[in-house]
Amino acid sequence: MNKRLALSLALSILGFVAPAQAQTPVPPGYPAGYAELIEAANKEGALSIYSTADAAEVSELLTQFRALYPKLKVEYADQNSTELYSRYVAEAAAGATADLIWSSAMDLQIKLVNDGYAMTYASPEKSALPEWAKWKDQAYGTTAEPIVFAYNKRLVPEAEVPRSHADFAKLLAAQPDALKGKVTSYDPERSGVGFLYITQDVQISPSTTWDTVKAMGKANAKFYTSTGAMIERVVSGEHTLAYNMIGSYVLQRNRKDPNLSFVLPKDYTQVMSRIAFVSAKAKHPASAKLFLDFILSKAGQVELARHAMTSVRDDLQETHGIRSLPGATEVTLKPIRVGPELLAYLDQITRLRFLKQWQRALAAN
Amino acid sequence: MPRAFRIAVVLITALLILGPVGLVVYQSFLSGPFFQPNSTLTTQAYEFVLFEEEDFREAFVNSAIIAVGMTAIAVPLGCMMAFLLVRTDLPGKRFIEPLVLVPMFVSSVVLAFGFVVALGPVGLVSLWVKSFTGSIPWYLYSKTSLILIAGLTHVPHVFLYASSALRSLGSDVEEAARSAGAGPLRVAMTVSLPMIMPSILYASVLVFFLGFELFGLPLVLGDPERILVLATYLYKLTNKLGTPSYDLMAVVVVSIIFVTLPLVYTQRKLLAAASRYVAVKGKASAQRPLAIGAWRWPALGLIVAWLGVTVVIPVTALVLRSFLASWGEGVGIWENLTTAHFRELMDYPNLVRGIVNTLLIATVGGALSVGFYALVNLALHRWRSRWTAVLDYLVLVPRAMPGLIAGLAMFWLFLFTPVLQPFRQTLFSLWLAYTLVWLAYGMRLVSASLLQIGPELEEAGRVSGARPAQVSRDITLPLIKAGLIGSWVLIFVTFVREYSTGVYLLSPGTEVIGSLLVSLWGTGAVDLVTALSTVNLALILVGLGLMFALGNKRHA
Repeated sequence: MNKRLALSLALSILGFVAPAQAQTPVPPGYPAGYAELIEAANKEGALSIYSTADAAEVSELLTQFRALYPKLKVEYADQNSTELYSRYVAEAAAGATADLIWSSAMDLQIKLVNDGYAMTYASPEKSALPEWAKWKDQAYGTTAEPIVFAYNKRLVPEAEVPRSHADFAKLLAAQPDALKGKVTSYDPERSGVGFLYITQDVQISPSTTWDTVKAMGKANAKFYTSTGAMIERVVSGEHTLAYNMIGSYVLQRNRKDPNLSFVLPKDYTQVMSRIAFVSAKAKHPASAKLFLDFILSKAGQVELARHAMTSVRDDLQETHGIRSLPGATEVTLKPIRVGPELLAYLDQITRLRFLKQWQRALAAN
Repeated sequence: MPRAFRIAVVLITALLILGPVGLVVYQSFLSGPFFQPNSTLTTQAYEFVLFEEEDFREAFVNSAIIAVGMTAIAVPLGCMMAFLLVRTDLPGKRFIEPLVLVPMFVSSVVLAFGFVVALGPVGLVSLWVKSFTGSIPWYLYSKTSLILIAGLTHVPHVFLYASSALRSLGSDVEEAARSAGAGPLRVAMTVSLPMIMPSILYASVLVFFLGFELFGLPLVLGDPERILVLATYLYKLTNKLGTPSYDLMAVVVVSIIFVTLPLVYTQRKLLAAASRYVAVKGKASAQRPLAIGAWRWPALGLIVAWLGVTVVIPVTALVLRSFLASWGEGVGIWENLTTAHFRELMDYPNLVRGIVNTLLIATVGGALSVGFYALVNLALHRWRSRWTAVLDYLVLVPRAMPGLIAGLAMFWLFLFTPVLQPFRQTLFSLWLAYTLVWLAYGMRLVSASLLQIGPELEEAGRVSGARPAQVSRDITLPLIKAGLIGSWVLIFVTFVREYSTGVYLLSPGTEVIGSLLVSLWGTGAVDLVTALSTVNLALILVGLGLMFALGNKRHA
């Protein structure tokens, strides 16, 4: 009896105190109308996110967001990009799905946006983003991560490490026997990101890229589907040199194990971005908008950069962007545009034709 | 059991199976996803996959070769080991038996990775061998290695079936053979193993199927040389075309379903005379271990060698890797030892929830599944009817779908069936998917023990006036209790390591260890993968230890 009384007392105090808590203030620089968005989000009271970023990598980010908007119950589901796509389109067809979609498969994200799955929303943070990172006020690039060469520091002499794409091709062509089986990359036939990066390479620098593919064929390079498998094998020395690796994964591992090192190729370094959009079918659109703004805000970007997902914002480039990485100052960055250009290679015939060409180049010896 | 009840059970089971399978078959005849209104009926997916895809042909042939090779290795070895460990006086068998099961409860992706760490081109064992011989006498990423490893790691599946059947076999027949002068090998080959033929046949068919839809091992071991099998082909197909093409994937599944039909037909023909295999009769018979004399040592050597290659080497390498900051050619082990990965793992969000969910679905869920399998089996038990033939064929069909597709089909079903919708984001959906995918397994284990019960026992019950339901409850069920517990152990370990089936059914709150492993593997966090696997392994070993302790107490 007493216990029950105490409990109900405690509950009523909590209930009494909660409304007295100050409403989350409108972030500085945001339009005054933002208070209404926060109000609407608080009424929604929940947010569901589908993402390809591992839950451990964003747990602090989510904690900060929850602290900012304590009334939102945030659900975060991480999955690989193909699964995310399949799950999302089916759920959207059934009527109920996640509110914010955040994936590193840039082409699939743009396809979804192009197919009308995204809600139009002009984020107040959008002026801080470079032109390449936004499309139609619907798709936003939330990170700017370099595509790098990774290598085993223990086994590759510093002088031999290729510093540019041309160097890479030359090194392979010069010592196909010494490097036999030692070079690795994503398999464009079996890995979506691998396909994306190599097709970008071909657009930027066709002759060097095809030379590289041919040289890889000659050096009996191994092609993988899984980032983890590749990084692990470079660390162990089974392979020593990896082409077109996602910088954030390599950087994370490099912080723990300096045996794995990386190069930002000087001639050009591709930049990929995790694309986020608010789902047109969102049940909690206001909450999703708050989250999108938060990951694009300075605080969110700094937190992402702590987990090697370097910042896309112009005003953070020197401190938290690619420019803050060692050896990045004299590098030409080539961001993959967040836009309809990415749709070109989703066309099946173009795609199959490219893969045929890749196979031929690989076997051209 | 009353006839109406039997029919009801059969119908419900058929519905459960045909729901997802029917959806996949329907999808195979559409031009796009079934949930999009602009999809039309067509056979173009069949034309594309069957006639234009060279990769499909390659993958199909590879899968068939692997399935055959794997069965040819796993079945004889598994049977021999079951005979040695259950029926003979092999030294140390109590200690060895639980170890035999270890490959079953390490997720195959992780186990394969253990092989890479140990036997890969710069693996720990490889480098050690190289320091003596100057070169490594094997290549881990070849098709031969893949078949060999697949065969060796599936020995426990056969072992479980064969050993549970051998356990309920009286030793009178073996002793008769011994006293007539037969050696132990001859006893095994001509008496004990033929007596449990139904179990062996079931196990062979299932192992063949597991080989056909093998995923984890080829994903890791086939990756460097790009060896394609059907399950990994599904991924390649998606990538080749840019977006997931469900129609094409469905065609692949339908083609696997067609492989099941002749298999089940053969199996039914071979087992037509089930009464030949009755072992538990009205007359009690004692079980005594067979003395195999000097054979003990070569037999023990065989088992220890298998354990070494299949369990000790990869698992030790895996556990060791979870304590290493770095490894490989030119890296010392001692100076790189660390517990950092475990500390990092402790901070992993939802870890505890994942472990709790896994244990829940494996213990409680596993028990419920076995209950369901037993119910279906009892409904079919001693029932001469065409219904039983129908179910014989149907039961294997869910297993014809690679786990990922089965999971996708279940996800669609839960998503688009209004009655099921509220359960989609609960552990129930996951449990149902697991139960269905492993239906053939559990069913066969239970039915193998049922086949061994002499009809006179049940007839005696009927004659003394018991109703059909009473006979099932008071006579049949108690007699197959050991078989049921065995199934539960099998289902427990299977559910713990299951991962691909659940991918689409998981939602925040229903994470399981398998899914955490997959998502960690995807982001390249191999440190955490190995640490989590080590924890997982420890959990299961404790669980199995408890079960064996309880089991032994019960027998005493």
